[in-house]
Amino acid sequence: MGNREDPALSSRARLLASVIASGGRRELLLQEQPSGRRLPVGPLSRWTPHQSPSLSRNGRYLALLVRQGDRSLPVLWDRASGTLHRLPLPMGQEARRIHLSPDARTLAIEVDRDGRDELRLFDLRGMLEPDLPSGLLLQGGGASSPQIP
Amino acid sequence: MLLLAQALCGCTGETARPLSGLDRSLAMDGSSRDASLGDGVLALIQGRGGRERVALIDLVQQQPLPVPGLNRADAQPLSVAVDARGDRLALVRQRQGITELVLYRRPLASTESIPLVPPGVPRRVTLDPDGRTLAVEVSRDGIWQVDLVDLP
Repeated sequence: MGNREDPALSSRARLLASVIASGGRRELLLQEQPSGRRLPVGPLSRWTPHQSPSLSRNGRYLALLVRQGDRSLPVLWDRASGTLHRLPLPMGQEARRIHLSPDARTLAIEVDRDGRDELRLFDLRGMLEPDLPSGLLLQGGGASSPQIP
Repeated sequence: MLLLAQALCGCTGETARPLSGLDRSLAMDGSSRDASLGDGVLALIQGRGGRERVALIDLVQQQPLPVPGLNRADAQPLSVAVDARGDRLALVRQRQGITELVLYRRPLASTESIPLVPPGVPRRVTLDPDGRTLAVEVSRDGIWQVDLVDLP
């Protein structure tokens, strides 16, 4: 049995993301709660090892660090549309952890810059639809709106 | 800065806009780690002069929010998490040789110890956006596990 690390929760703990570390592998585990049913992780399965998952409020978005070559690559997966956003950092900045705000409007990436821990904050409002609490009025949508599994 | 903005492009062409002013302001306050975002609030562990403390930042006003009683001179914060509203913070800290998990309610400025059952050593903690459930890494018999804890 391996270690289970890096937990992340959506609203009301409906979704739990974590990383299973076993035998040198680190793989994302996304589960419905309380059933524990395992959910698919789409394109992320090709990008192991995984680190530092973070979920938006309703679980529409999942932010994660994956490896690309010898560097850590921050990615954002839109579970509703299937889109994977890659967010490479400039050379000299290695991502250590990533955190997404519940509304998916802000992203924080902890970076190692010349041996010092610093934060890089990003406004995502031009890039993602917000993941708002239920009951808030949304513009548009309707029958063609994407459905979150 | 333009280079950074161009670098953070998603597949669809839209960009993530760097909040560079806030980044610089945080860097001036020391090292920053273990960030946790609410809706418009940021909790993090800041290090300066060999000491670390938990800070809560209003991202709209770009000002620190008061967290009276959260930071103790005899405690070392290890991990922090905040709910969406910035009202509740979960904290793993080391104090008097013991690693403990606590819940801080900011409106009450109160701190409550959260017991782990069965006992274990907590490490990294996260809160759900509602602040009603936390998930925490716990070491038991050399294995890291994840506990879900419903909060009062």
